[in-house]
Amino acid sequence: MYPEPTNLWERIEYSSLGITIAESTWMFPTIETLHVIALVTVIGTIAIVDLRLIGVASKGHRVSLLAKDTLPLTWAAFALAAITGGLLFVSKASSYMINPYFLWKLVLLALAGLNMMYLHLTTWRTVEHWERDPSFPFQAKLAGWLSLVFWIGVVFCGRMIGFTLGVFY
Amino acid sequence: MGDFLYGLTEWLRSTALVDFALNVSEWPFSQWVVSQFWAIPILQMVHIFAIAGSFAAVLMLNLRVFHLAGHATLAETARRYTRVLWWSLGFVILSGVLMLFGDTVRNLINSVFWIKMVMVVIAIVLAIVFANNLGRQYRTTTGDTEVVGGGVKATAILLVILWCAIMFAGRWIAYAPA
Repeated sequence: MYPEPTNLWERIEYSSLGITIAESTWMFPTIETLHVIALVTVIGTIAIVDLRLIGVASKGHRVSLLAKDTLPLTWAAFALAAITGGLLFVSKASSYMINPYFLWKLVLLALAGLNMMYLHLTTWRTVEHWERDPSFPFQAKLAGWLSLVFWIGVVFCGRMIGFTLGVFY
Repeated sequence: MGDFLYGLTEWLRSTALVDFALNVSEWPFSQWVVSQFWAIPILQMVHIFAIAGSFAAVLMLNLRVFHLAGHATLAETARRYTRVLWWSLGFVILSGVLMLFGDTVRNLINSVFWIKMVMVVIAIVLAIVFANNLGRQYRTTTGDTEVVGGGVKATAILLVILWCAIMFAGRWIAYAPA
């Protein structure tokens, strides 16, 4: 029997869904695998655009066309990552919520989202005017660099969660 | 499936791999990797990013082969993403080998690890075949009449499935019966 939940996170963890995942021998690793597949797809496809923005790769290609090619895949994979990530969270919610690496991962995910949103609301509006130039505007390059840094941070924190879950009380 | 994996691990335990793995884990480099808290997480990060590079390259080639995305010609797309694929595969192998030193016994005496290795070899051979076929494809393609053969399409799909299976095995090494 599980103890009576004392806060929201324990209530989530001791829900029937949380218990089902936690007690199953195969569910957690399977969901974790799907999370990894989704995450590498998100990172790989985002990096294609980011590396173009900072001028390292695909220099002969228009960045708007690269984004058009990759974005549907990025969003689909992000949706899968969010769903599987949510399911992993439900099974150990209270352990995740006191883990600093998990909290940092959430912060970095939010920053990556805000960075992308800011780029699309500002510099990206005039992309057709500058994407054929040899060098991109500073704001576009900065957004590319920041995106790479944030996603490296997300992966780092994600991996560190595995090494530290249950260490913090 | 569990019985098969358990049986395979039992067989691995009866081979010379045990002595070899124990020996490698005594090497100074293995001892160094184990003693550095950040070594394994950093190597795992490199491994994940390299997998991201190769998987994204395979996915983008798939989308182009099936005309689902890709603004460039098949030749340009193939040139760009096969280069990414080879570089990423290089880092996948390098980081994977280095990670082995951090936990040699658990990996080498593990049925899922060897299933993963077999799939990695098949995936590399298949990727070489795929790249060669793509090369042949765009050399025979003229103008707008771009026709992609069934073999290339089948290899493209198979590569995605294999990469998913490899990632699956990679995660399950930690959960395999030991």
